[in-house]
Amino acid sequence: MLIRKWKKKAIEFSCIEQIEAELLRQVPACCDPDEGSKAEARIFPSPTNTSDPDLLRDWDEYVRPELRHLFRSAKETVEEDIGSLKMKVGHLGRFLVPLEHGEPWLSALNQARLILAAKFEFSEAELSALDLPKTFSQRELVLHQINFYAAIQERIIEILNTGEDNKPSGESA
Amino acid sequence: MPETAIDTKTEAQLASPWNVVVHNDPVNLMSYVTMVFQKVFGYSRDRATRHMLEVHHLGRSIVWSGAREQAELYVQQLHSYLLQATLEKSEGC
Repeated sequence: MLIRKWKKKAIEFSCIEQIEAELLRQVPACCDPDEGSKAEARIFPSPTNTSDPDLLRDWDEYVRPELRHLFRSAKETVEEDIGSLKMKVGHLGRFLVPLEHGEPWLSALNQARLILAAKFEFSEAELSALDLPKTFSQRELVLHQINFYAAIQERIIEILNTGEDNKPSGESA
Repeated sequence: MPETAIDTKTEAQLASPWNVVVHNDPVNLMSYVTMVFQKVFGYSRDRATRHMLEVHHLGRSIVWSGAREQAELYVQQLHSYLLQATLEKSEGC
């Protein structure tokens, strides 16, 4: 898969393999933490490490609903963009993400990674390991999924930061 | 004169600084955290990178200090980027 800036107005995802398309389509679904789970606690952390009932009450009442709306909106943006990805048998896929959707994409990819990491309780060592796994359990595959989303995030950040345009490269996420 | 002294003390209490603290998180990418610090606080790339590395190596970094209301707003913004941030009263106040 190639990810690059396209005509100063979009991010182009091209040369997309079937497996990559499938993982991209899973991003929105990964953004839904189970209620009361560790994943939900990570997405909506406490604003303080001390006891401050007034702050916590206000946070629950006013801030969390806003954050929830923001996260849902980012997820829906990604869902809509991925909807334009049509895969044909024997062909690689392509779709465009408007540049202004860059931040919602970073948010949705981050939500997905944080939720998967919390759900499968990955340790810091596991998340930063460079070794290839010795087994191929569901857990190992999810770690690959987290790293795949991280690579896409890195590429989007690079594009948003550098303003790079149509750079011909073989860099892939 | 005594009234002036009381006023000054009250003002000093109101102005007690609050810290915005960002905590380490193995999932958030270093480049992402740096970008967020630049966006939220308007920090230069160098300053944002310094805070990011402090979070990474020391587990936490005080990224801003000042009035409580503004600190709460910053924590909210950092949460909107999915960073683990908390509000803490500055020590020694």
